[in-house]
Parts: sequence; C-alpha cells; structure tokens
Amino acid sequence: MTSLGGVFYYLRTRAWIWSFVATAMVWIATILFTGGHGGGQMLTAALSFATFTIIVGIGQMFVITTGPGNVDLSIPATMALSGAITTKIMDTQDGMILTGFAVALGVGLAVGLFNYGLIRLLRIPPIIATLSASFLVQSTAIAYGRGLRIKPPPALADFTTAEIGGIPILSICGVVFTIIMGVVLARTFYGRSVLAVGQNMRAAWLAGIPVERTRLVTYVLSAMLAGLSGLLLSGFSGGSSLNMGEEYLLASIAVVVIGGTSVAGGRANVPGIWGAALFLYLLVTMLNTFGASAGLRLIMTGVIIIAVITVAGSGEQKR
Amino acid sequence: MSFRVKLLSVAAIGLCLSAGSALADTAASKIALSNNYAGNSWRQAMLKSWEKVAGQAVKDGVVAEASAFTTSENQVTEQAAQIQNLILQGYNAIVINAASPDALNGAVKQACDAGIIVVSFDGIVTEPCAWRIAVDFKQMGAIQLDYLAERLPEGGDLLEIRGLAGVFVDDAIHSGIEAGVAKHSKFKVVGSVHGDWAQEVAQKAVAGVLPSLPEVKAVVTQGGDGYGAAQAFKAAGRPTPLIIMGNRQDELAWWKEQKDANGYETMSVSIAPGVSTLAFWVAQQILDGKEVPKDLTVPFLQINQADLEKSLETTEKGGVANVEYSLEDSQKVIAGK
Repeated sequence: MTSLGGVFYYLRTRAWIWSFVATAMVWIATILFTGGHGGGQMLTAALSFATFTIIVGIGQMFVITTGPGNVDLSIPATMALSGAITTKIMDTQDGMILTGFAVALGVGLAVGLFNYGLIRLLRIPPIIATLSASFLVQSTAIAYGRGLRIKPPPALADFTTAEIGGIPILSICGVVFTIIMGVVLARTFYGRSVLAVGQNMRAAWLAGIPVERTRLVTYVLSAMLAGLSGLLLSGFSGGSSLNMGEEYLLASIAVVVIGGTSVAGGRANVPGIWGAALFLYLLVTMLNTFGASAGLRLIMTGVIIIAVITVAGSGEQKR
Repeated sequence: MSFRVKLLSVAAIGLCLSAGSALADTAASKIALSNNYAGNSWRQAMLKSWEKVAGQAVKDGVVAEASAFTTSENQVTEQAAQIQNLILQGYNAIVINAASPDALNGAVKQACDAGIIVVSFDGIVTEPCAWRIAVDFKQMGAIQLDYLAERLPEGGDLLEIRGLAGVFVDDAIHSGIEAGVAKHSKFKVVGSVHGDWAQEVAQKAVAGVLPSLPEVKAVVTQGGDGYGAAQAFKAAGRPTPLIIMGNRQDELAWWKEQKDANGYETMSVSIAPGVSTLAFWVAQQILDGKEVPKDLTVPFLQINQADLEKSLETTEKGGVANVEYSLEDSQKVIAGK
C-alpha cells in the first residue's frame, strides 16, 4: 500500500514522467501496427529531430518561466537569419565552421538584445515586441539570402548526421546540454533568479534580485539558442531555407507546456522537454503510419496534447 | 500623278498602322502586383521575374508603373486591406497571387466596380469579374504516374509527399496522383506524408514514416520536397528510390550529382515562377483593349533527363528553374496556342 502510494506521490510530483509515458505509448502503438518493424530506426529519427526542438525549447522555457506574458516569438526568424548568414559565410569550407558558430551566436545575441530593447526601453509587451522583431529579422533574412541555399561544410553535415549505434551524436550533445541547463536553472544564481522573477517579479525585486538583468540574459539566451539551432539545422538538412524555422514557433512553446513547465511562470521542467519533443515527433509518425488524413491527424494531435496536459496537470493542482 | 497617289496610299496605310499601335497605348497605365507571401525560393523567384520583366516594360514606356506589394503575414484580411489600398491609389490593373480562392472576392469585386482590371494567377480568385491564369495541377500529379509507368513497367510501392494541408493546390495534385494510380494499377501508395513544399518539413516527415514502410520504388512529390526526401532516405541507409523532383535548384543539383555518380534518372516538374510575368502581360493586354478569355491555362515546366544540364545552368543557385514570358509568348497563351 505505502509503496503504491509512494509511486503515486512520485509521479504526481514529477509531471515530466507523463510526457515520457505518452511517448512510450505512442511508440508501442506504432510498432504494434507495423508488426515490430522499424522501431529502432523510428527512435533514431525521433532523437535527431527532437534535438532541434529541444535546443530552441530550452530557450523558450527560460523565457516562459520568467513570468506571465513572457514568450519569444522571434525564434523562427532568428533561425532563418542565422542559417542564411552562416551558410553563406562558411561557404562549404570546413575551416570556417568555428567562425560559423560564432556568427550564429552573434546573430542570436543581436536579436536578443534588440528584443529586450523593445520590451524594456519602449515598454512593448514581449509578445508584440518579439513578433514585430521577427518581421524585421525575417525580412533581413530574405533581403540577405534571397532564398539562396548553400550547402553546409562537409564536416558540419557529417557531425550533425553522425550516429553511434543508432544514437545521433547531436542528441548526445543535446542531452549533455540539457543536463547543464538543468543545473544552471536549479543551482546557479541566474537560474534561481529566473524562477524567483517568474513567481513574483515584485517580490524578487524587493529581495534584491536584479530583475531586469535576469530578463535581459533570458531573452538573449533564447535568441542565441535559436541562432545555434538554425546553424545546426542547416547542417543537418543540407542547407538553410527561409521557412526552415516556421514549425519551431509552436513546437518550442508546445514542448515547454507539454513538458510540465508552468505557463504562468516560476516553475520550469527541464527533463519534460525531452519527453515532449519525442512525443510530438512520434505522434505525427504514428498518425502518418496509420495513414490518417491530414485533417484527422491535426484533430488527433490536438486531442492527445490536451489529454496529456490534463493528465500531467491534474496531479499538480492538489499540491 | 499615279506616283503621288501611290505615295499617298502608302502614307495612308502607314498612318493606319501607326494609329493601330497608337491605340495600344498603355503608357499611362499603372499595374500593381498584390502578393500574399514571399518566404520561400519560389516566391522570391516570382518577385524577381516580375521586377525584371515589368521593370523593363516601365523603362520601355509600355506602362507607367508596375510595383510589387507583398503582405507580411500571408493572411486574407491583410491582403484584402492591401487591395483596398491599391484601389485608392488609383492603379489601373491589379495582378494578384491570392491567399485564398474565395475570401478575397469582396475586395476583388470592389476593385472591379472601381473599373480596375484584376488578373489572378497561381493562387487564383473565384470572383467572376477577375481573370484567372490557372495551372492544371491535377495533370501535374497524373503525369508523374505516366512517367513512372514508363520507367518501372513492373510497378511497385510508392511514397507520396503532399503539400500544405487545406490548400486547394495540394488537393488538386493529390487527386491527379490518385487518378494516375487508378490508371496504372501496378503502383500502390504505401505511405503519404505532408511535406508542406519545404525541404526540412519533408525530410522530417519522411524520416519518421520510412522505418514502417516496405521498400519504396518511387516517391511522387509536389515540388520543393524532393531534396528533403533524398536526405531522409540517405540518413535511414535505404536505397535511393526514383524521386520525382520539383525544379528547385537544390533538387536539380542533387539529381546531377547522382546522375554523374550512378546514372540516376528521373524527371522534374513544377510551375515556373515567371508565371507572374505572364500575368503582367495579360493585364497589359486587357488594358490595351484586347479580348482576353477569363480563364487561361499556363503550361507547367517539365525537365527531362536530357534537359537537366541546361536547366541547371540557367537556374540561379538557390532558385527555381524558370521561364519568363515576353509579350509575344503571352499573346500565344491568350490565343490558346
């Protein structure tokens, strides 16, 4: 009895479990349908694509955690701009990869500072500020690249697509990065400031936490991760394109929410992002495998996401 | 005397001829392009073609102005407002690539009522007062199966990559592919995913569904998704099937690479983005008082194995294989040739 109760308590306090449970269920359902065929490859593909969602998702999670109304809508545009500029600068030269990474982070830094400038100096709500910034950034990407697709340097393409025993190297890096960010959030002054600001901005300010500096760093972090993701994605898919970031706008927010992070801010859930990203990918794979039509697929995606959030959230209400 | 009569009659004929061309005077006319989206390489090429051909027409004094306007959000309300602005700005003709076939009809009707010529292309509008330059998308799907039947007489399993769900173009091409499969019954579509006409999306969707599929003989596509599909097959370590391409430069470049390496053969089909220039000339011809049928069909651009090198050469890096229309080409399309 007590052990069972213990298990329930454990589950209830760890909302991220649910996204992994859902992922496993979706995966098993798909394999049952294919008769045990291709399950491993499916996981490999899921890990590869989930990594990009996770990189931008972690940035989005920090932003959302800083409190109600905080969200970064400029992620897709930043990815497009970073992809366009870095592939052009690297110009398929392996020797330029490090420069490419520096430029990708630089693009992110610039966009992040600009976002925060709009929010702080012009007092524009973050949702409007980052949206309008994204128009400017996307237009810059269009004007700069004109849809030009330049191949990534071979070494970068190899790195982003390499696997060890079916596990993509990039995903291993992604897991390490996630652990680091988990520690940053839970153990460092900055991470705790993010949580405190998200719980109550005024209380955090009265407690002597540098509220505005925390928000500045958070928006810059999110944009830099978007820049990094843009570079890696163009390496992975053989070049950048103007609309390559489009689907990461909703995906970045969805993985944060499904992963168990509070939309109201102040409470983040790092491991849940992985569960959510894998879940979202495998869900689409499952419905594609079943041969569901696009309409049914969208309906099912919506229904299942609502179900997962409801199940995951119901435990927390009772706290 | 008779010489003078001859001279006079020659002069008279000359006068008549020049009067004829003087009728064709659109030099004071202003044409606007209302475009709903610019965020991919096809649309970029479309705008560039417009800039080039319409810009030259302005320089040559054929029309007074030919500006392109693009909405930022690909939304119907925004484009309707844009069209209303263009009406107020006094354009004589508006060329539209529409965000929706019917939701802009109100704004289009307003323009017609204001005496403005409205020509829609690619994304056409259903409002009867407007002209439509449409593509036979269904046929674009059907010919893929005709080609496959020739190349793979024994048939086989197919993977279909569709476009953006809910857009009529996707449904039209898909119905063409369905009709093709019905006609060539040795083929069977074993998997279908939405690639949204984007390489990254197609790659992601194909990579997900591939492990569950048997050996795929060929991939039927809608354009902008062939390269992504090839990447997904490569990443999964599966043999590369026959992938129908969609005229994007990266697709053609990949095709050429494969051809040089192992004699890979396929074909490529899509609409040339230069169809915007056809729409420009059609609008100019209507302003000129020419009789133009309300519904025109534009041929799609097909690239075969033999044309590959030439097409790749003339296609800009990162662009789309293109054909720009001259006034004469447009007159041929109008005449139904």
